[in-house]
Amino acid sequence: MNDVAVVGVGAVPIGSYTEVPDHELLLEAFLEAVGDANVEKRDIDALVFSNPRPYTEQRYFGTFIAGYLGLPLNGLLTEVLGNGMTGGLAFDVAAQQIAQGNARVAIALGVSKELQVDTAEHMKLTMRAVGDVDFHTPFGVTPISWYAMNATRYLHDYDVERRHLAHVAVKNRSHAGLNPLAQFKKPITVQDVLDSRPIVKPLNLLDVPPRSDGAVAIVLADVDTARSLRSDPIYLKGRGFYHEGVHMTSSIPRSLTRYASAERAAIKAYEEAGLAPWDINVAEVYAPCTIVEVLLTEALGFFQPGTGALAAHEGATSLGGAIPVSTDGGCTSRGHPPMVTPLYNIHEAVLQLRYQCGDRQVADANTALTTAELGDYNSTLVHIFSNNR
Amino acid sequence: MDELPYAPRVTKFNRPFWDELRQGRLSTTRCRKCHHITFPPKVLCPECWCRDIEWLTLAGHGHLRSYTEVCAAPQPFQPEAPYVIGLVDLIEDVRILTRIAGTYDALVPDMPVQLAIRQTTPVPLFYFNPQQEVV
Repeated sequence: MNDVAVVGVGAVPIGSYTEVPDHELLLEAFLEAVGDANVEKRDIDALVFSNPRPYTEQRYFGTFIAGYLGLPLNGLLTEVLGNGMTGGLAFDVAAQQIAQGNARVAIALGVSKELQVDTAEHMKLTMRAVGDVDFHTPFGVTPISWYAMNATRYLHDYDVERRHLAHVAVKNRSHAGLNPLAQFKKPITVQDVLDSRPIVKPLNLLDVPPRSDGAVAIVLADVDTARSLRSDPIYLKGRGFYHEGVHMTSSIPRSLTRYASAERAAIKAYEEAGLAPWDINVAEVYAPCTIVEVLLTEALGFFQPGTGALAAHEGATSLGGAIPVSTDGGCTSRGHPPMVTPLYNIHEAVLQLRYQCGDRQVADANTALTTAELGDYNSTLVHIFSNNR
Repeated sequence: MDELPYAPRVTKFNRPFWDELRQGRLSTTRCRKCHHITFPPKVLCPECWCRDIEWLTLAGHGHLRSYTEVCAAPQPFQPEAPYVIGLVDLIEDVRILTRIAGTYDALVPDMPVQLAIRQTTPVPLFYFNPQQEVV
């Protein structure tokens, strides 16, 4: 098995690109990443795409792009799909291609355009994804209702106030203000979050993700190739995956405030990396809502169950805190183009470990952790990166 | 009778569930071998994969584990919004997703709730009412 490193990243600023076709948006990120990695056309062996949204006009999107680029591939060309984990799976499959020796250079890439249809119309599609269509969908369940139910229970079970959750959105907005790729940069207050309109109570508009368009490309290589390309490759040190065998809600009662899949996936990733939670310097998590980031910081072992919201409120997850989380602004402020959100997380992790984050740089960052998920965190994919081999 | 904004599929297998619900009873499947009860009803036991399953009528009592009020609803459900959905842990130790009668602010986690039926077309749908006294 070959060790895997990241040698190039590229991403477009998250926002609204209704006038730009998907492939043109993706090629912006692709060319930036290829340039950043110093790879040439003949070096590239594999392309692993996150599957685009059903609204994308061009089907067989992956082979279309390879054709557009006139790019023959001797390793792999594929599109992967796995709910919100999709972008993370694209990276994971690309890494496997390197590890197995099928490819010396592989690119994980994708575009996710959400703003072609309005939110209520979009939910007609997602309501069939986030529950059993015969026994959940008829009640009018929505994707983030599951997180709202996590929040209702969390606020009841622990000595935590609504404003403590709101602080997570404020913290992430302040991080986003330092990120040129972020969708929303204007500072907000806890009162702004509490006063924003309810979406799924107790979560308000500023607790939940916006709808966003984005595109990302990440270039991976085996370690020898990586070192021939640049002096500062970022190494993949650990990986963990776990699925609970549950689709959104378990028929068997279980905790609504502990993400068991994230706990198990993280343990596997920490073991592989030879690291512990307190060794992580920055975490870029797939957290569509404020409550999700809180529960993840507990599941990943940064804080004890029930203490994540207060720790965030005290600044532990802010830039300058013990474990900065979502330094790019997270889903709520950086933006959330779901199929590529995990790739944006990896993009930020790589920039942090290369010390290229400017005013939002985590001082002396040597390790970074990313997550992606399926469902109500029924499944988690964790990657751990380091700038030391 | 109101028409459901999004109707479930009535199949040869699950028809007993909808027929029972029309009569006011909530039912599901239980494994004859390991006695595991699951919801929704399934053609096999998810615990042991045994196909020897039987129908069981549930008591219709439980506790409200958690809930949310959906204010931003999918397009077909907008005429019904806002509405409360919740997770109910039934006394048979089975968790189900359901509508809950009432508003978010009137509910408390762990409060007892009781089955009720909404007579709709093409099939009825269940929901749960909060109970003031402990069941």
